[in-house]
Amino acid sequence: MCKSCLMSTAEGDEEDLTRKQRREQARAQRKQLEEAEAASAVRRKRLSQLGIVTAVVVVVIVVILVATGGGGGTKKVVSGTKAANETVATVNSLIGGIPEHENVLGNPKAPVTLQYFGDLECPICKEFTLGALPALLQSEVRTGKVKIEYLSLETATREPEVFKTQQVAALAAGKQSKMWYFVELFYHEQGEEDSGYVTENYLQNLAQQVPGLNLTKWTTDRNDEALANQVANDAQTASNQGFTGTPSFLLSKGGGAPQKLEAGTYTEAAPYEAAIEKLLKS
Amino acid sequence: MSAKALRITMIALTVIGLGVASYLTYIHYAGIKPVCTAGGSCLKVQSSIYSELAGVPVALIGLIGYVAILASLLAPEGETTRFATAAFTVPGFGFSAYLTYRELFSIHAICEWCVSSAAIMTVLMCLSIWRFLRGDGTSKGASPPARTDESRPAPPLTAARS
Repeated sequence: MCKSCLMSTAEGDEEDLTRKQRREQARAQRKQLEEAEAASAVRRKRLSQLGIVTAVVVVVIVVILVATGGGGGTKKVVSGTKAANETVATVNSLIGGIPEHENVLGNPKAPVTLQYFGDLECPICKEFTLGALPALLQSEVRTGKVKIEYLSLETATREPEVFKTQQVAALAAGKQSKMWYFVELFYHEQGEEDSGYVTENYLQNLAQQVPGLNLTKWTTDRNDEALANQVANDAQTASNQGFTGTPSFLLSKGGGAPQKLEAGTYTEAAPYEAAIEKLLKS
Repeated sequence: MSAKALRITMIALTVIGLGVASYLTYIHYAGIKPVCTAGGSCLKVQSSIYSELAGVPVALIGLIGYVAILASLLAPEGETTRFATAAFTVPGFGFSAYLTYRELFSIHAICEWCVSSAAIMTVLMCLSIWRFLRGDGTSKGASPPARTDESRPAPPLTAARS
């Protein structure tokens, strides 16, 4: 065998070995690449699945937000319209014929006094006024057992100036023994909390709905400093009792010390009636 | 964190959330005051118009959500159940975010029960997405089958030589 032939065989073997190694390397690289591609495809698939879920959720939340956006408010009731007349009729059926004097509703000689601390913009006060109160008016106030005194405590109203203005507007109606009409109408037509609906226009429109209210006198009385002081005094009384929320209640008999009344409900009259009856019997 | 530890953590969180939602659903239907350290804030939130959605108490919606999440976690682990958990927690988080927005900007009161549920749901969503994306667990059919060398045509030799 020639020397050159031996050399070429050895070179061939070496070349074969290198070729094998290269093939294996390439195969390993290919495998790695395929695995990476598969993992990447799975990740992309998972991300797109999550993306679809997220997109659906975002759409649903936006729909809920739009649908409930104005849900808290009652549409402004314009004086003289059918809606306004219906509201006035409802309020009339609730408190019509009950004696009123300033901020007190009920017989002035009633043995029990229920003090109701409220904020006219407070939705829970609305819940109580439209929930538990009508039955209470029927069973306890019309029967002369209880008189209800409305006191002011700022909770839901954000701007202290707006709070003072709206509460004084109600008290000014009280100068004509119409405060409870104003208060009831306010709660019945209450707007969405913190939407800035309480404007001068809103208060004027409300006053126009109060049956028999002399608007000129009401406008003059709103400037009475004594009424603004009364709002401040009510806040002090509430603070002395440790009240921070509305509605809050105090119950007293004759000249006795007032007791806090926590009924645990704003829609059921029964716990209020039970507390009143208990106090009457004591 | 192992797949098992992650799953157990998520189950524990879901059970706590389920407890909170059950309590809030109970007080809604019983008409009683929730136990609350923040004055009357919880009562204010619970009795607000936003405590119901189309007549359904939001607490009940939360309860149903937690039950669904728990069911997906207790089911045999796989790609589908991991996706189901994520698909339940993402809307849960979205709904919690909506309710927190309402508490802050519409009701102006914070209910600590609702906040705790929102926090649990947020953590659950993060964990479920992480769990779904990393895709570990016992499933074998989760990933698309990788092509074997046998099923793949051999690349041209020149490519291997290059």
